[in-house]
Amino acid sequence: MKKKLLYAGVFCMLVTGFLSSSKAHAQSDPSGKKRITDTYAITNATVFTAPGEKGTKATVLIKNGVIQGVGSNITLPKEAKTIAGDSLFIYPAFIAGASDVGITKPKDPERPEDFVSSNPPDEIAGITPWRSAVDQFSIKDGKIDELRKTGFAIVQITPDGGMLAGKTAIVLLGNEHSTNLLMENTALAASFNGSRGMYPGTAVGVMAKFREVYDNAVLTSQRAQKYTTVTGLKRPEITPTYSAMQEVITSQIPVLFSASSELEIRRAISLQKEKGFKLILTNLVEYEGALDVVKSSGVGVLVKLEIPDDKALKAQKEDASDEAKLLYTRVKEAYDKALAQAGKLEEAGIPFAFTTVGVKSGDILKTLRKMIANGLSEKAALAALTTNAADILGINKVAGSIEKGKMANLILSADSLFAEDAQIKHMIVDGYLYDYETKTKKKASKEDKGEGSVKIEGNWDYTSESPAGSSGGVLTIKKDGADFTGTITYDDPSGSGMATATIQNVALDGSNLSFSFDVSANGMEITVDVSGEVSEGSYDATMTVGEFGSFPFKGTLNPTLTANK
Amino acid sequence: MKKTTYFLAALLGLSIQFASAQVKKGSVLIKNATVLTITEGVLENSDVLVQDGTIKKVGQNLSAPNGVTTVDATGKYLMPGIIDAHSHLGLDVINEATSPIVAEVRMKDVVNPYDVGIYRALAGGVTISHAMHGSANVIGGQNATLKHRWGSTDPADIIMQDAPRTIKFALGENPTRVHGRGNGIQPRTRMGVEAILRNGFNEAVQYKKSWDEYNSASSQKNSSALPPVHNERLQILSDILEGKIIIHCHSYRADEIYMLINVARDFDITKLVFQHTNEGFKVAPEIAKYTMGASVFADWWAYKFEVYYSTAYNAAILTENGAITSINSDDAELIRHLYHEAAKTQRYGGMTDEQALAMITINPAKQLGISDKVGSIEEGKQADLVIFEGHPLSSYAVPQMTFVDGVKYFDIKEDADDQRLKVSPTEMVEPVTIADDHNDRCMQDTEHLFETTNSLFLLNQ
Repeated sequence: MKKKLLYAGVFCMLVTGFLSSSKAHAQSDPSGKKRITDTYAITNATVFTAPGEKGTKATVLIKNGVIQGVGSNITLPKEAKTIAGDSLFIYPAFIAGASDVGITKPKDPERPEDFVSSNPPDEIAGITPWRSAVDQFSIKDGKIDELRKTGFAIVQITPDGGMLAGKTAIVLLGNEHSTNLLMENTALAASFNGSRGMYPGTAVGVMAKFREVYDNAVLTSQRAQKYTTVTGLKRPEITPTYSAMQEVITSQIPVLFSASSELEIRRAISLQKEKGFKLILTNLVEYEGALDVVKSSGVGVLVKLEIPDDKALKAQKEDASDEAKLLYTRVKEAYDKALAQAGKLEEAGIPFAFTTVGVKSGDILKTLRKMIANGLSEKAALAALTTNAADILGINKVAGSIEKGKMANLILSADSLFAEDAQIKHMIVDGYLYDYETKTKKKASKEDKGEGSVKIEGNWDYTSESPAGSSGGVLTIKKDGADFTGTITYDDPSGSGMATATIQNVALDGSNLSFSFDVSANGMEITVDVSGEVSEGSYDATMTVGEFGSFPFKGTLNPTLTANK
Repeated sequence: MKKTTYFLAALLGLSIQFASAQVKKGSVLIKNATVLTITEGVLENSDVLVQDGTIKKVGQNLSAPNGVTTVDATGKYLMPGIIDAHSHLGLDVINEATSPIVAEVRMKDVVNPYDVGIYRALAGGVTISHAMHGSANVIGGQNATLKHRWGSTDPADIIMQDAPRTIKFALGENPTRVHGRGNGIQPRTRMGVEAILRNGFNEAVQYKKSWDEYNSASSQKNSSALPPVHNERLQILSDILEGKIIIHCHSYRADEIYMLINVARDFDITKLVFQHTNEGFKVAPEIAKYTMGASVFADWWAYKFEVYYSTAYNAAILTENGAITSINSDDAELIRHLYHEAAKTQRYGGMTDEQALAMITINPAKQLGISDKVGSIEEGKQADLVIFEGHPLSSYAVPQMTFVDGVKYFDIKEDADDQRLKVSPTEMVEPVTIADDHNDRCMQDTEHLFETTNSLFLLNQ
């Protein structure tokens, strides 16, 4: 009972204010998980304090989740746990301007009995500005660690939903026992997504409805004001939608509008000009053509941290007709332009940050390197991930750079951050230390086992674990000249039974076997990547399912069926 | 003093707004053409001088001012840019099909200047198209009149900003199928369609009244009047009643056409154009007397039950009865040869050259409320022009150059093959086909609304 109360107390403290240290835990520690100290010193590391700064050898001391000092003459307290940083590169941890990490889609509300598709209740039509991302967020989500592993410490979480999905919040990717909440109600997430089969169903309906909701929020506040001063008036009708819109119409918080294309960007900016709200554009994918309006409107910009796939380019055939070759040339031009876009944004002098909504965490560092190779400066890339993001989110007093008094959010990398083989060795988030395995490059051959000893051809029975439960099937691999081909069966996501897919990009590197296959679910094509170690007929691998996360994948080679030639 | 500064500021503000929406305007001298003016006869061996987007002079032996290019059109025909009164080109969304009335939606919000169909229309001599909302609703959204300024990337630059507002209405099978049979709400029948219209307008009258009352009360001292709830939908209906918006109504059968004429008369609405108007020939005198005419297909019909009682003489009968008549495409392919479509009225109905060409120029201009600006070759009008090899009503006619505001946007000899402004980096290269099948884009994106109907239909099979 006493313990329960105590927890409740701690919980309240965390919700209402910034995190203090965990001194409130006066209890003993039966789980043995409590950390020994919250003071760390990373000594003699190469520290990059802010974008554009040169790396200098220094020691970073942190305590209570706050940076206590950076420099070479720091006296380390006795309780400091020391991490030898001689071979480490320290950067301020990344901040995502928007993210869906840890967010679970809320259940669709039930349709009322008198439901009319032409005039549905707001909640069903995707108009839920009162919802908060905090209610949809779980720090225990497996995707949190994946994003943290790529360098992120702070994200603005956006709620899942329709045209006015709800309020965003800024959270830390920190300790599981904290709410990790930094700021609530930071923006209203909006999009051009209509509701299927009801009003508003399309972008054109959404724009009309947005205007209506906005105008009526303004009128409702006028009525409410009058009602408080004059007696004998009709009671103003206060709805959750209009109440939740107040912070938007008074410009206390911005609208975080998802606009992926040039035309959507123009549409969002035209609404903003018409109504005068504060605007941050997010989810920008194709934006080069709108740089002038983006710049002149001065709105915040969050670019999707992704580059287009090159499937179309790779599909080009050697023996294509001349006409097709010309068409491919244009696709190639478009592809190159897409890679260079972030650099163009920098060139135009528009400060921007990134959104990771819908982005596969595992690809992020690769994407950044691609952007840098195509014209984005390292300084601008780091600024987008740190200081610009902190500016756009309004948290630059506490985050974005490594300096005394800021939150202890650090990347400890084994190499300079954007180098080809850079790997993040540790993350410090909110003063908590996270260790990650770094892989050393495979040696050419393993001592006693020759190349030929790893046998992968045949039928593998596999099982995989995911939040949806355990499932399995048969993976068949055949040798085809120098390459491998094959198929995989899996539980058909669209119903009962098994589906079969061809596996692609089968590669055996030493004992590491990797391959991928495409699954279509709910009209979406998802690429599943599997990679892991083979040893004596068993396969211990990780399966990455699109942006949904990574899960264990284990296989055993079935000896009775290997004669299948 | 204060007042003047305010006035100046307002003026400056205005001019800045105009400047930001400024579009390209060109100058050109077209020499020695057979000029089909539409409104002022045919002028042989004549010149047309365009300066800053406007037709400056039509005559003979004109010389080009300094810096103005000359185009030799000897042996060629020059006609005003073709105007299509019913199109869905350049729109990212066509139907907000979810409610019987969606007057509040604006097609101008979803104009897409990258639609390559715009260039293809230019190649067919079409300089202006009426980008309409679809026909899934009794009262659809507000349309956009587009000028085909190919290459513009700002949607505002292809919208004809000086064109009056228009709105889409639809009668008959489409709205009753989507709402009545698809969703189980009114309207399920043609009677329901009329009820939706009358109820809508009556509500708009009430709505207008409540705002008028509030506005006059709130201007009084110490007013305690509370503002009514804003309803853009009823506001637009109220604008229709005040004559600020031209109705363009999708219609097929004579009974429904006559119904809407009666509704319009009851509510004192005169700005009304019928679209498709398949049985217009049965009520041609009424259309002529009470409306701004009809826009029809030359000979496209029988694609659903209500479009069976049809005749290729429709346009001619309407014209002879005095109704303003235009020929439209409603289709990205048909829009490329509207001059052929117009020529069909000569085979079926014996229209003169002038009558036939008027159906794709000055008549649609009248129906869109822009005939004072475009639709004929007259001094002072906007220089939207097409040069044809062969008479435009000949089977062998081929457009050579198309100008909008004096700027050349199509040249059959000079233009590169691939005219797309933008290509997706992830777009698979597919074998090139010349034309797609006809798609009735009027009902695009509404297919899911018919699921119930379709399954019922299959049950009864």
